[in-house]
Amino acid sequence: MIVPLEHILILAGVLFFAGMAGLVAWRANVIMMLVSIEIMLNAVMLVFVAGSARWGNADGQLFALFIMALTSAEVSLALAMVVYLHRRRKTVDTDLFNEMSG
Amino acid sequence: MKLSLALILLLPLSGGLFNALAGSRLPRKAGEAVACAAIWGAFACSVLTFIAFSAPVTIEYASWLSDFDFKAPIALRLDQLSLSLTIMITFVCGLIHLYSVGYMKDDPSPSRYFALLNIFVFAMLTLILAENLPLLYLGWEGVGFCSYALIGFWYSDEKNATAGRKAFIVTRVGDTALGIAMVWMFQLFGTTAISELNGMGFLMPSGVITSLGVLLLIGAAGKSAQLPLSVWLPDAMAGPTPVSAQIHAATMVTAGVYLLARLSPLIGSSSTALGAIAVTGGVTALYAASCACVQRDLKRILAYSTISQIGYMVMGVGAGALTASTFHLLTHAFFKALLFLGAGCVITALHHEQDIFRMGGLKKRLPAVFWPFLAGSLCLAGFPGSSGYFSKDAILGATLERGGHLYGALFVIGLVTALLTAFYTFRMLFVVFYGESVHPMGAEGRSGIVADLHHLPPVMTLTLIPLALIALCGGFLDLPENFGGHGILGSFLAALPGFAPHAPASSATEFSLQIGAATISLIGFGLAWSRYTGPRRAESLRREEAGLPLADFLMNGWYLDQLYRVLFIRPYILLSRLLWKGIDEALIDGALNGLGRVTIRAGFVPAGWSTGRVATSLIALAGGAAAVLGYVVWWLP
Amino acid sequence: MIEQAIFYILATVTVIGTILAITEKHPVHAILYLVTSLFSMAVIFFLLMTPLVAAFEVIIYAGAIMVLFLFVIMMLDLGQPEKGMSPGWREWLPALLLCGISLVSLGIVIASRHAPDSMQPVPLAIREVARRLFQEHGLAVELVSLQLLFALVGALYLGKPSAAPTKKEVETP
Repeated sequence: MIVPLEHILILAGVLFFAGMAGLVAWRANVIMMLVSIEIMLNAVMLVFVAGSARWGNADGQLFALFIMALTSAEVSLALAMVVYLHRRRKTVDTDLFNEMSG
Repeated sequence: MKLSLALILLLPLSGGLFNALAGSRLPRKAGEAVACAAIWGAFACSVLTFIAFSAPVTIEYASWLSDFDFKAPIALRLDQLSLSLTIMITFVCGLIHLYSVGYMKDDPSPSRYFALLNIFVFAMLTLILAENLPLLYLGWEGVGFCSYALIGFWYSDEKNATAGRKAFIVTRVGDTALGIAMVWMFQLFGTTAISELNGMGFLMPSGVITSLGVLLLIGAAGKSAQLPLSVWLPDAMAGPTPVSAQIHAATMVTAGVYLLARLSPLIGSSSTALGAIAVTGGVTALYAASCACVQRDLKRILAYSTISQIGYMVMGVGAGALTASTFHLLTHAFFKALLFLGAGCVITALHHEQDIFRMGGLKKRLPAVFWPFLAGSLCLAGFPGSSGYFSKDAILGATLERGGHLYGALFVIGLVTALLTAFYTFRMLFVVFYGESVHPMGAEGRSGIVADLHHLPPVMTLTLIPLALIALCGGFLDLPENFGGHGILGSFLAALPGFAPHAPASSATEFSLQIGAATISLIGFGLAWSRYTGPRRAESLRREEAGLPLADFLMNGWYLDQLYRVLFIRPYILLSRLLWKGIDEALIDGALNGLGRVTIRAGFVPAGWSTGRVATSLIALAGGAAAVLGYVVWWLP
Repeated sequence: MIEQAIFYILATVTVIGTILAITEKHPVHAILYLVTSLFSMAVIFFLLMTPLVAAFEVIIYAGAIMVLFLFVIMMLDLGQPEKGMSPGWREWLPALLLCGISLVSLGIVIASRHAPDSMQPVPLAIREVARRLFQEHGLAVELVSLQLLFALVGALYLGKPSAAPTKKEVETP
C-alpha cells in the first residue's frame, strides 16, 4: 500500500460526509440530492477498494463493481421518477412533495 | 319465664315482619289485626312475667358477638326497672295501635305503617331489656331508624322527609357519643355487660367517670331531645299523630332517661357528671316551657311540653332521685300519650287543622275528646290530686333535698317551669275547647264557624278512656308518706342499686313543698282562665295573633335552628363546597385533566416530525449517524 | 515515495472537486466538478492496484451516469440557477453541524486504532479477478443483470409520455 489505510479511510470519510452534507442541504433541487448520493456511493467504493488493496483480496474490487452497476440502475430509475414528478408538478423542490405524512 | 320473656320481644318482631313482607298482599284488616295482636300478646306476656317475678334475673338466649375476649350475647335482664317499663310500653303501645287503626283508616299504605310500628316496639323493648351495651345499642339504633321512617312516613311531601332526616342526623350526634362511651368502657373495664359495669365504677379515677358520664349524657340528650340536641322534636311532629304519641311521648324519648338511670351506679359517683345532667335537664325544661307558651300549632305545644317534662326527668336523675324520675317517666307516658291521641282526634275532626287559633268551642261538640283531654291536661299541669302532681312533686322534692347552690337554683328553675307548664297547658285547653266556634277575626276570608266535623271512628275516642283513668289515678303508685301511701313504686324499685329512697325530709318541708307546687299550678290555671275564657278571650287571641314582642323569639325555639345553621351548617356547606369545587374538581380532576392535556400536547411533538418531506428523513439520517459516531467516540471509552 | 505524493495531490483534488460540486448553484457546473473529482478518484484507484475498477469508474460512472444526469437536466430545462432556490445558511447549518460531528468522530475513531504493519501487497492479475467474479460471485452477477433489467423496465414505464391518465385511456396498464 502506498499510504497507510487510515489515510484512505479518512479521505473516504471526508467525501462521504461531504456528500451527506450536500444531501441534507439541497432540498431545493432533487437532482443535486441525487448527485450528493453519487458522491456518497463513490466514497464507499473507495473504502472497498482500499480494503481490497490492503488485504490482497479481490472481493473488494468486485463489490465496488457491483456498487457501480447497481448505482447506475438506481440513478436511471431515480431520474425517470424526477422526470415524472416534474411533468406532474413542474417543480423539483422536494419539500413540496409531502403527501405521505402521518 | 324464659319463654314469656322471649315472646315479649319476638311477638312484635314477627308482627312487624309479617306486615312488612306479606301485609300489602293481604286485606287491610288482617295486617292491622296481626299488628295489634302482637302488641297485646306482648303485654299479656309481660303481665305473666310480672306475676312470676321474684328477683332480678339475667337470661341468656344465644350467643351474638363473640371475638377473643369481647362477648356480647343476646341476654335479657329482667329487674324491677325494666319490668315496669316493659309493662308500660306494651300497654301504651297497644292502645296506640288500636287508635292507629282508626286514625290511618284512609291511608294507602297501612302495612308499612304497622310494620314500622311493630318493629319500633321490638327495638324499644330490646333497648329496655338488654343486658349488655351492644344489645342496648341495637335497640337504640332500631328506635332511631323507626322514628326516622315514621316521621317521614308521608315522604312524598318534602317537608316530612326533611323532618325525618333532621331527627336522624341530630340524634346521630348523641349516638356517636354513646358509641364512643361504649367502646371506651369496654377498653377500660373489659366487659360490656351492664350489671358488671355498674359494679366497677370505683376502679377508675373520677375524671374518667366524669367523662363517661358526659358522653352518656350527650347520648341521652340526643335521643331524649334535651338541649342542645332538642331541635329535632318540634319538627318531628310532621309524622302521623299516633307516631308522635308513641315515639315522642311515651317511649323513644324516654330511652335517654332510661340509659342514664340504668348506668347510674357507674356514673353516679361523679358529682360533676350528675351536676351536668341536672343542669341539662333543668335548663331544657325551662327553655321548652317558655317556647310552648306562644306556639300556635297544637302538636308543637305538646312537643315542647315533652321536651320540658323529659327535662324534669333528667333533672331528677341528676339529683339522684331515680325513683322519682322513673315515676314521672311512667305517669308522663300515660298522660302525654293521652294528650297526643286527643290532639289527633281534634285534628282529624277539624279536617287536619292544627292551628289552635282556628279552633274553639269544641267542648260542646266533641265531649268524648274533651273530658280525657282535660284529665291529661290536669296531669301535665300538676293539678293537685293528679298523678302528674305527685310525680313532679317527687322530683322537685328530691332536688330541694339534695342541697347546695346548684340544686337550689335548679329547684327554683323547676318551680318557674311548673308555673309555665300550668299556664301553657291550660292555655292550650281553653283555646281549643272553650269559647265560641266563631273566630272574631274571620281571617283570610274564611267563615269563622267551623263546618261540620269529620266523623271520628269510635276506636279513636275509646282508647282515650283507659289512659285518662290511669292518668288520674296513677298517683296512687307512689304516694308520699304524709298522704298515707306506702310508696308502692318506690319499694318495688328500691332493691335496685342506686334506687334506694333517700331519707325523706321533715314532714313540714314536704308538706310546704306540696302546698307550694299546688299553688303554682293553680296560679297557672287562673292566669290561663282569665286570659282565654270569658270576655277577654277574643281580645287575647287577637293580640296574640297580631304578635307579641317576645313571641317570635320563643316561637322559633330561641332561634336555636338558626344558631345551628350559622354555627355548623353554613361552615360545613362552605367546607364541602371548597372541597368539592376547590379540591376535588379543580385540584384532582384538574390535575388529571391537565396530565391528559400535557400528554396530548407532548404527543404532538413527535407527530410533528413526520412531515412527509424527504428532507426530514434525511436530517434524521444524518443526525442518527452523528449520534452513533459521537457516542462511540466520546461516551463509550 | 512519489506515489505517496501523487496520492495526496489527487486526494486534495478529489476533496476540492467534491466540495465545489455540492456548493455550486448551477447544476451543470456542479456535475462537471463532480466529473473532475471522479477522474482523480479513478487515478487513486489505479494507484491502489485496481485498474479494473479505475477503468469502470471512468467509463460507467463519469461516462454514463453523469451524462445521464446532464440529459435529464437539459430535458427538464433546469439549468437556470436564478429561478430555483439554492440553499442558504438555514439549510447548510444542520448539514454542516451533523456532518461535522460525524466526521470528527469518525476521524478520532480511525486515528485511535493502530493497524499492524502493512505487508507489501501483491498486485492481482485481471485473470484472477475475473475468475473470482464469475466463479464465486456468478449468482451475484446474474442478479445484478436482472436488476438492470428491472431498472430498464421501470424507467421505460415511468418515462412514457401517456403516464398522466386521461379519461379515455383508463384501461391502459
